[in-house]
Amino acid sequence: MTKLTILKYPDERLRTVAQPIAQVDDALRADIDNMFETMYESEGVGLAATQVNIHRRLFVADCSPDQNEPLVFINPEITAQEGHFTNQEGCLSFPGVYANVERAGKVTVQALDKNGESFSLTAEGLLAICIQHEIDHLDGKLFVDYLSPLKRDRIRKKLEKEARLYGQ
Amino acid sequence: MTELRPGAASRAAAAQAVFQVLEHQRSLSTALPVAASKLSARDRGMAQALAYGVLRHLPQLNFMLSKLLTKPLKGELLILNSLLLVGAYQLVYMGAASHAAVSATVDAAITLGRNRQKGLVNGVLRNLQRQQSELLEQIAARAELAHGHPRWLAELIQHAYPQHAEAILAANNQQAPMWLRVNQQHHTREQYLALLADAGLAAASDSPLASAIRLEQPVDVQQLPGFAQGWVSVQDVAAQHAASLLQPQPHERILDCCAAPGGKTAHLLETAPTAAVLALDADAQRLQRVHDNLARLQLTAVVKQGDATSADWWDGQLFDRILLDAPCSATGVIRRHPDIKWLRRANDISALAELQARILDNLWPMLKPGGTLVYATCSVLPAENKQQIAAFLTRHADAKQIAIGPGTELDWQWLPGEQHGDGFYYAKLEKRT
Repeated sequence: MTKLTILKYPDERLRTVAQPIAQVDDALRADIDNMFETMYESEGVGLAATQVNIHRRLFVADCSPDQNEPLVFINPEITAQEGHFTNQEGCLSFPGVYANVERAGKVTVQALDKNGESFSLTAEGLLAICIQHEIDHLDGKLFVDYLSPLKRDRIRKKLEKEARLYGQ
Repeated sequence: MTELRPGAASRAAAAQAVFQVLEHQRSLSTALPVAASKLSARDRGMAQALAYGVLRHLPQLNFMLSKLLTKPLKGELLILNSLLLVGAYQLVYMGAASHAAVSATVDAAITLGRNRQKGLVNGVLRNLQRQQSELLEQIAARAELAHGHPRWLAELIQHAYPQHAEAILAANNQQAPMWLRVNQQHHTREQYLALLADAGLAAASDSPLASAIRLEQPVDVQQLPGFAQGWVSVQDVAAQHAASLLQPQPHERILDCCAAPGGKTAHLLETAPTAAVLALDADAQRLQRVHDNLARLQLTAVVKQGDATSADWWDGQLFDRILLDAPCSATGVIRRHPDIKWLRRANDISALAELQARILDNLWPMLKPGGTLVYATCSVLPAENKQQIAAFLTRHADAKQIAIGPGTELDWQWLPGEQHGDGFYYAKLEKRT
């Protein structure tokens, strides 16, 4: 397994809209393994393919307290959502940045698992937030898009400065 | 997506509770449940330990921060001062694993909406780790810091108890044990001790009071055998003396004044179930807790909202006995409520003493000749206790004090930590016939 490089904001490639996956095969499963390794090593709870410069509709997540419940979502679609929940979100493409984002409190998602089998899952709490955050990535959308232009600009400058200083 | 470190939420909640106490004069028992409302049970326990610890050691922690901050935090950054107190407490007094403690506190700055001051929090706490032993030496050399009390209160205690002041101040900074009062309508103390042993709860029965049990470790009340059925209540041992000093008799008319939350009301009725007890309190919200307690214990009293300095709630019929658990400085229960040290002001004491005198004078005519009044406070200050009763006796020729103290003492001043109890005061007065 390989730890992949995570694209950092404001990298324009994070704005790419990912393409649907036609076939779940061993090559894809290798990507999935690498994405899990990358996510766990970076102490994330979710990672979208877009963030590692793979522009296919796929994300991995593990929102369990002990980080021992890996989940794979291929071609995910939200089929139902309800309620509101505001939570401080961070993102592996935005090191050290957290901001309050309001999202649906409960979502039902339809997707394929790593064997290509279709499944449906209803989630609340952190996992519900994570699913919405990662599907946004596949659409080229970022959590800072929900913030005011002023806050977004401040975050962009901060990350650009850090990238200059530390060569990230 | 990433998430804040798991310890961040409890640090942020503790900081918010401390901030409410220090900047908005809210009591910790009001502020903490609000601040910690969204936390898991485990995080709530952590937030509580942190907030109580900060208020127990505030002068020492303030001193350390004053040495580490180049300028004091003001305005919207004040919340960070509370967060740094929490961070410093866990490093210095909790022996927390330092790396995890610092990073959780830094993440708590984000939770509190102070993303931009993360570096400040990190820097101050890292400097504290480096300078900790030196700072602790400086604190040890300053007596006024080391005892962890406001100066006015330490001076009052030193003046009143020149022999015991140091022990009192030290006891105020200890955690209080959890005491139980066994409902003797259901079980003897020995029977209930056996139930506790079956439940795996270690307990001691070293109090001379037949109802009192001290748990080795505090537990959630729901873990106590028969709590919901009223077999047992939580009450400090010092407070459990009220009922035996008042000696309520069957069918007597008894006034329990300033009764909320109703622990002593219930104890009176457990002792004399047929007594007609009127539980009076000015605070409607706290009276609800009297109702709850009585319902749980399946006891009946008349519960009334009323002002103890007026008589508009009184039906004109004399009482056989009166228990007056007077509003007071609560300086005897600092070990349970460390916020008291920072919420009270020096001039509160004379105002409280004046209120206590007015209540005593108001209730005395409601007591029948030959009747008994027990005066109680959870204060250690003579102005509210011994001096209060001495002044009362000079105003009322028909009042006579009955000796209750250990040895030759007329009255009874418990000091905090004495026999593991809270600081408490009792005097017993009888109306001449």
